[in-house]
Amino acid sequence: MGSKTAYSSKTMTNIYMIRRRRWANVGAVYLLLLIFSIGFMGPFLFAALSSLKDDPLEWPPRITVNQLKLSNWIAAYKLGKAGGGGGFFGAFAPGAVVPFEVTYKVAPGKEPVVPEVVIPRRIPGSAAAALLLKEFAADYAEVSEIKEVEREVLEDGSTLVTYRFEIRHTGDIVIDRLPLDITVPFKQIFVKGTLDPNRIERLGRVQSWDNITSGVIPYIFHNYHRVFSENYSRSTGKNLFMSWIFNSFYLAFVRVITTLLFASMAGYALARLKFAGKNTIFVFMLFSMMIPGQVTFISNYLVLRDGIFGISKLFGMDSLLNTYTGLIISGLVGASAVFIMKQFFEGLPVSLEESARIDGANTYQIFFKIMLPLAKPALGALTILTFQGVWNEFFWPLVVLTSPQDKFTLTLGLLNFRQTYAVAFDWGPMLAGAIISALPIIILFIVFQKYFIEGISFTGIKG
Amino acid sequence: MKKRLSTLNEKVAPYILLAPFLFVLIVFFGYAFVRVLYFSFTDYDLFSSPKWVWFKNYINLFQEIQFGRALKNSITFAIIVTTCQTFIALVLAVVLNQQIKGIKFFRAAYYMPSVTSSVVITLIFMWIFQKRGLMNYLLTQVVKASRILLVFFLLAVIFHILLVMYEKIRKRPVSIFEPAFIVLSLLLSGIITFILIKVGIISTLENVKPVRMIWLNTRKTWPDIAGPLAFPIPLGAIMILNIWTTAPTFMLLYLAGLQDIPKELYEAAAVDGATKWHTFWYITVPQLKHITFLVVTMGLIGTLQMFDQVAVIGDQAPLDSTITLAYYIYKNVLPSSAIPKVGLASAAAIFLAGLTFIIVLIQKKFVNK
Repeated sequence: MGSKTAYSSKTMTNIYMIRRRRWANVGAVYLLLLIFSIGFMGPFLFAALSSLKDDPLEWPPRITVNQLKLSNWIAAYKLGKAGGGGGFFGAFAPGAVVPFEVTYKVAPGKEPVVPEVVIPRRIPGSAAAALLLKEFAADYAEVSEIKEVEREVLEDGSTLVTYRFEIRHTGDIVIDRLPLDITVPFKQIFVKGTLDPNRIERLGRVQSWDNITSGVIPYIFHNYHRVFSENYSRSTGKNLFMSWIFNSFYLAFVRVITTLLFASMAGYALARLKFAGKNTIFVFMLFSMMIPGQVTFISNYLVLRDGIFGISKLFGMDSLLNTYTGLIISGLVGASAVFIMKQFFEGLPVSLEESARIDGANTYQIFFKIMLPLAKPALGALTILTFQGVWNEFFWPLVVLTSPQDKFTLTLGLLNFRQTYAVAFDWGPMLAGAIISALPIIILFIVFQKYFIEGISFTGIKG
Repeated sequence: MKKRLSTLNEKVAPYILLAPFLFVLIVFFGYAFVRVLYFSFTDYDLFSSPKWVWFKNYINLFQEIQFGRALKNSITFAIIVTTCQTFIALVLAVVLNQQIKGIKFFRAAYYMPSVTSSVVITLIFMWIFQKRGLMNYLLTQVVKASRILLVFFLLAVIFHILLVMYEKIRKRPVSIFEPAFIVLSLLLSGIITFILIKVGIISTLENVKPVRMIWLNTRKTWPDIAGPLAFPIPLGAIMILNIWTTAPTFMLLYLAGLQDIPKELYEAAAVDGATKWHTFWYITVPQLKHITFLVVTMGLIGTLQMFDQVAVIGDQAPLDSTITLAYYIYKNVLPSSAIPKVGLASAAAIFLAGLTFIIVLIQKKFVNK
């Protein structure tokens, strides 16, 4: 007899049920995983996409973005070249002749009207940017005669008509941007142009371009371009956004180094050495990890203001407020970093040390020559966690660094952006700035995912 | 002589290795904590020397309207956010508790909100919560599609009930929440709803006014029926943001915990004929007790310290609606245009520290049991 027939009908039903469950489970789990990931990544992705838009608050919010259309890239390249700059980074240079075409649709029975072309004296972006703008394209550009080049009558009786004109540079200086406004009568509907307009205003009567000769890169990333080009310090003239990025990197770099060194020293001592007061220090350390920074900052602010009990005066600094020295000294090493290193050293075998000690090595030699090289994996994780922590830090720099603006870190700079742009509902540069500042961490995270997850389970997470 | 020197050296070595850490710990934590405690009993404005006033600050603190708001906001925020994120994290983890291929990709997606800075996340959410923002757009779409959604879910429920009844009639073992049937009925209902839309029997609602809810710059509270217990809408927006950032991380803590539950427990329960709900309630939840305590404690401590979101939103929302304990302390030490009230702020700081301390003590007590 074959063994198959030996199954009772009840067992068969169970097998049937288990199979049914399995495919349903796998399918449902992946579907849910996907939905949740869209939920958790969605806001980032959509913000990244919208940071390219002319108006990130457009209603209804679209997923298609003019800045991501191939036809516009090609047009921006050609226009950039025609403007006398490069295809990738354009300009409006002396001798430039920029050709432009626009197509309109006119209702049946109506005669198309030649549009009115103006190079406006528009001040772009924020008030700070306006101060920097000295030369206007309007003073140097000449619009040629507007010629009708094509006319087509559609089936429904309406007319498609295309006009062509050229913009000539008549002066002798290079200008950054060439804005353009085209006005047509009511009900003469804009169909297409050499480049998609940035805005269509006054119920479709005015099509408006911010800069037709920008070149491809500034065209796609115009909000990113604005972030860098519109923020200059009024006192020093330095590029603010560049300074903020540099400051964040600098602080992160220094503090990663001090943390690695001092946390491994302290972690080793707490894990392996015997000395009086060890337990007290450990309990004290745990206690310190629990207390919010908003409690201790009151005193710490004063400590830095008075130059750490006046010691800094010996080095010619009256106060450590508004200095990186202050931030670095107060953040030499954190309790959680020491905690991670202590846990790591406790996991290493004792035999290594013992044999070295028999050979006559002292504590420092054992630490620097034997233990530290063994700690590479833990140091790797600590590097990444510290970098992330410093890069994202907000509260303490907010207290210590108040002026001038070019001393800010990136997080403080973004807060500053909120006061410049978000108040005016100008969310383009705002989102671009946020995306730029999130980028290093996201890259680090994707590359070193494992370390992040270890770190989170070690030290808990932010609120 | 040389030997004595080297033993002395060995005795001092631990302290030398610890020196930088001890410096930071003593100056920027120990001294700071003691000094804040001292300030909380004084009148101090950062410039003239502190005057001892005994408990005046603590008494004044509880008469301050602003502090009352901050305390209420902080506690509402902590309780609602912690409850929601713990619950969501647990449910997500139980649903996802499988050996999943490609989990690395999904894990990356889930962690993204918790590794990026709170400033960036708050800015992105401020944009989403604008009057013409994504949140209001999605709400508008839901209102528009409400009829379709209703039909879809009704059909799905009907199909599911029919499938379960069919199995019951054939005397096959089946649980009420049979996952295969849930998937199948959702699929069927989706197809039929799609056909109904194409044929034109049901459609989206026309003439729906776009939702233009103001999320940030408003003094309104929600829900209306809760009376004085209702929370300000801007605080609600920050709650959504915070739950969204932390729930995934907690979910992964739970997932790790679920994988550690011995399989025998579930097998024994299956032999005894326990339902899915019973196994969840009597095996999974008790086995995850320690993780739940960790998650709740971490959640409460984190939410009580909430500062960044309030500071970043700043004057885009009324201060009364978003102020928290942490922000109250900051605002009183470094006000933009007033005399600093360091004594009062210190008393609030000690209060905040005490609150945190109590939560940790409770956790320690329960976990050691």
